[in-house]
Amino acid sequence: MRSGPPIGQRPSGLESLIRTTTFRLAIVQAGVVLTFVVALLAYVYIATVGQLIRDADAAAAQEYASLERAYAEGGISRLRQEVIERSNRQNDLLYALIDASGQTLYQDIPVIPPLRGEETDNVSLKLSRPTPEGGLASGEARGRIGRLIGGPVLLVARDLGGAAAIAGRITSVLWTVAVIGLVLSIVGGLVASRQAARRAEALSHTARDVMAGDLTRRVPEAGIGDEFDILARDVNAMLDRLERLVNTTRTAGDSIAHDLRSPLTRLRQRLDEALEAKPDSEGERTALRKAVDEVDRLLDTFQAVLRVSRIESVANWRFDKLNLSEIVRELVEFYVPAAEEAGIELSAFVTDGLALKGEPQLITQALSNLIENALKYTPRGGRVEIRAEMRADGKLELAVLDDGPGVPKQDRDRVTERFVRLESARSTPGTGLGLSLVQAVARLHKGVLALGDGLGGTERPGLRAALVLPTTG
Amino acid sequence: MKVLLVEDDREMADSLRVSLEDEGHNVDLAGDGEEGAEMAKSRAYDVIVLDRMLPKKHGTHVVRDLRSDGVSTPVLILSALHDEDHRVEGLDAGANDYLGKPFSTRELLARVRALWNGRELAISERTRLQVGDLEMDLLARTVHRGGGKIDLQPREFRLLEYLMRNSGQTVTRKMLLENVWDYHFDPQTNVIDVHISRLRSKIDKDFTVQLLHTVRGSGYRLAA
Repeated sequence: MRSGPPIGQRPSGLESLIRTTTFRLAIVQAGVVLTFVVALLAYVYIATVGQLIRDADAAAAQEYASLERAYAEGGISRLRQEVIERSNRQNDLLYALIDASGQTLYQDIPVIPPLRGEETDNVSLKLSRPTPEGGLASGEARGRIGRLIGGPVLLVARDLGGAAAIAGRITSVLWTVAVIGLVLSIVGGLVASRQAARRAEALSHTARDVMAGDLTRRVPEAGIGDEFDILARDVNAMLDRLERLVNTTRTAGDSIAHDLRSPLTRLRQRLDEALEAKPDSEGERTALRKAVDEVDRLLDTFQAVLRVSRIESVANWRFDKLNLSEIVRELVEFYVPAAEEAGIELSAFVTDGLALKGEPQLITQALSNLIENALKYTPRGGRVEIRAEMRADGKLELAVLDDGPGVPKQDRDRVTERFVRLESARSTPGTGLGLSLVQAVARLHKGVLALGDGLGGTERPGLRAALVLPTTG
Repeated sequence: MKVLLVEDDREMADSLRVSLEDEGHNVDLAGDGEEGAEMAKSRAYDVIVLDRMLPKKHGTHVVRDLRSDGVSTPVLILSALHDEDHRVEGLDAGANDYLGKPFSTRELLARVRALWNGRELAISERTRLQVGDLEMDLLARTVHRGGGKIDLQPREFRLLEYLMRNSGQTVTRKMLLENVWDYHFDPQTNVIDVHISRLRSKIDKDFTVQLLHTVRGSGYRLAA
């Protein structure tokens, strides 16, 4: 089986999530939500709290200017009198007055903030006012503080009252909404991207199965008609067409083989009959025999073609529980005389009790093909070794190793394809279907045919051809 | 012997009939499964050669029908596909042998003859086989020739047994492969020939009369 580049391999976990398109979209969406909420907050703040503050500042500034004029007209005593009077008259304005020596002349706020520098300044004050129920309510005020000519410090402030509390509530609600919105948009993005990732994964899984040779696989549709369903439908239509094309090509070959078999069989019978009729000259006999051999070779090839496609296309093979160790030993025993005749040392290392569920004749034929290949390409005086064992990963391995010329790495995928024979093998007889059949048998048993270096050295590596079969399923 | 040939392909049927008659057999021909079953039940045949894909009644059904009616005539099934599951299906139905197309006429004739031999042997329940001065004791599992004992490996014993049971007849490589080793594929190498030549060196080497003959283009024949 081919072990090409790692197709469709992807990083796992968080990294893969961040890479998905939908997750990136979710992040962008969250950013937009955040920006909108911040803008909204700013607008609401400016429209409510900001306006209150501006109004309070204006009122305080106006009162301050008016008191400043009273001070200019009547000095500190007039100012003190005005402050007391106005404080009693207007209940939303608050006052504080400190004379030049630093003594507090009047105050109806709990703490007078310090005057920074000599300039007049807008200030925010924390208040605690007695409530009608007799308790204390905290509040906020905005005002103006400044040093008058000659040294006294005057403060005029306006209680923002309940409006400030409402504005604060609005602000905190907006903040809550902003946080919730942000969290929701991130969670939504994650969910959406997980879902999209799963469907993309299903698509790529199908693609990988198809690449591995299962042309019957199709992409599942969710049935909701979204863009993934549309994509799945298109991909499935493409796979239908691909499968049809592949099958047409394959069946074309099969039908040629099938249709030509009957006339060829009849031709062989005619040749047989001609031979039976005892031709007069030795030349005729030889020609007829050669013709029979040629026809037999053609029939062998067609037979092999049909056999390989049958293994690939028939679904209901009867699988039995097999004693693989015995099958291998008997087959080795079968080939030992032929190997000795060819001057090849054939040895076998077979673990006892290897069991497998499989089709006995196909397994036997596959292994026989591997052994015959090894015997064919190993020169006189060479070695062929057969190993049947249970691997550490629980799979069975039937390996045939030789010290013949081997198969160059770049050709190993190719030699299992139908009719492919390497340039170096052209001179030896064979249909070019031997390894295709082994490959087909391996696939039928959900295993693989693995090719590697055999028993030789670096000059002539030899070939190691192994059937690796799972024992379950 | 009397052979019933059930084959719907006219050309194939005629060609087979000629070959079988040339061998001295008496051949009746049936063109479909129903006719074949009727004829097999109404007359006594020595061997029935039955195509698998037949009009009206499938070959395996014909065999099952015959067997359930108590007709035990040996049946050879011919099939367009030489496939293990079809073979097993045919043998399960009660057929005695199975031959996948394409096959050579000689292969078919050899198998028809072997089926007949097998039936005769089964009837006689023999425990000893003899070809010329070569003797095989099937119970003691020993082989003697000209008074001397010949040591054989178990597989060589089965090979020789099969040849002796079909002595005088040509047996093909395919028949040996199927009956001695139970392998149903064609090896591309001369592996059967090597087994035969080893056996030959054990039974014929020290004797002037050769028993194991090569039949060129077909297979082997054991005969005195």
